[in-house]
Amino acid sequence: MAELEGKAPKLFGIPTGTKLDELFYKIEKGEQGYERKPLGGIPYLAVMNITGIPDTGKSILAEQFAVAQASAGYRVLYVTVESPANFLYTALKQKSEALGADFATVEKNIVVIDASDNEELRENPRALLDTMAYAIKEKKITNVIIDSITGLYEHKEVAARQIVRQFFNFLKKWHQTALLVSQKRSAQASESAEAAGGLAVAHIVDGTIVLDKKIIETRWDVSLYHLPLGSVLRTLRIDGCRLAPHDSRTWVFDISDLGVIDIIAPLEEYIKK
Amino acid sequence: MEVISKPVATSIDTMAEQVFAESISLLGGLKKLVEYRNLTWLPSLAEAAYVVVLRNEAMKSYAEIARELGITEQTARNIATADEEKVRAYLAQEVESADEHIAGGLAKLAYRKLKKEGRLGEEVRLAQREAEVLGIDWAVHVLARIKGLDFPVEKEQLIERLRGLVIKDRKAEEILEKLEYPVKTPAELLHRIKEQL
Repeated sequence: MAELEGKAPKLFGIPTGTKLDELFYKIEKGEQGYERKPLGGIPYLAVMNITGIPDTGKSILAEQFAVAQASAGYRVLYVTVESPANFLYTALKQKSEALGADFATVEKNIVVIDASDNEELRENPRALLDTMAYAIKEKKITNVIIDSITGLYEHKEVAARQIVRQFFNFLKKWHQTALLVSQKRSAQASESAEAAGGLAVAHIVDGTIVLDKKIIETRWDVSLYHLPLGSVLRTLRIDGCRLAPHDSRTWVFDISDLGVIDIIAPLEEYIKK
Repeated sequence: MEVISKPVATSIDTMAEQVFAESISLLGGLKKLVEYRNLTWLPSLAEAAYVVVLRNEAMKSYAEIARELGITEQTARNIATADEEKVRAYLAQEVESADEHIAGGLAKLAYRKLKKEGRLGEEVRLAQREAEVLGIDWAVHVLARIKGLDFPVEKEQLIERLRGLVIKDRKAEEILEKLEYPVKTPAELLHRIKEQL
């Protein structure tokens, strides 16, 4: 074990540009005994799964992470499997403006692999991995986003575990901190970590963040959440992370008109307002 | 924002070459190969190396592999599902026969070994000089060059892809002049070239 000492990664946070950064923490010995200290982001070198039903803000969270990292000067590789690169460009530009980030810096530090329009990149994991390796090596990438990982095995969910394992091992080998967006199938519980391909993604990666939404549709909902009938309550929960302790409560968040995630309060406190 | 919209050169060819070379090494190395240099299944071994890599690294379906290599789905399946332990026992002469796809089992053994040792995908190539002297690497090079070509093919298309390739001291163009056209599949191409050697 001793030879692993130099190889063990340090525990610190990679900021996402959201309050999520305060929800991961580390335990350090202080004057009063052991104390919780916010990590300041998702754990360094973590490969995290972002899952949720449609329109819960998965891509928005991924984009916000990309802008936060790129504006801080870190190089980000954005593998887009769903949205074509030109649409991603517009989303990142809008997000940069909303967050007050310098888009020239953001733009310079983001490299996009557009797999949305290239069958070989989408259907052949080896071709995509080779292309990612080239980008990581040549462009000095430190963070990777794949939106979505489930889009890489749409027609072959039986191979989900094998494909996710390949990408996970690859990201570990190349020392990347990564977000893998995964989509749910209609039969899967919206609040669970399960996604297309079953629990393949959740089991293999270091942790999962589940985004969910609830439509306010009964008098009971109105009374409990203090929201008007027909409105939407958005929630976020860290569903496990093997690299760092974390808050495990369900949090309420909002997506602004400019497409920015604002995490408001734990659900238990939110309903007391 | 830099956008990469096409794959960079894939390592599938390199991996297939590695599996092919490792299979030969498992047979006892180049020296032993000299004794068996008339082994008729060397093209099949090249084919099997591609099937194993495409199946396990590119996650291709049997139908996709069959289309890409110009073999039948059943052949792709036989290669990918060959029982490598039975083949290993057969090659070690522990059993008299093996009702398996021998080249497939051998390629799988080689693939497993490379994977276990973390060598797959590394830029370790066939010992080119020795391989060329023995004339064993041509099938892999031919398959690598014709990748993506839609079969059946005519002479001109093959000449364009194989131009400059030397197969057992003969120019590929010269060999291609003597084949019958159209060539229906990559497998048929390998067999026809072999007939000319």
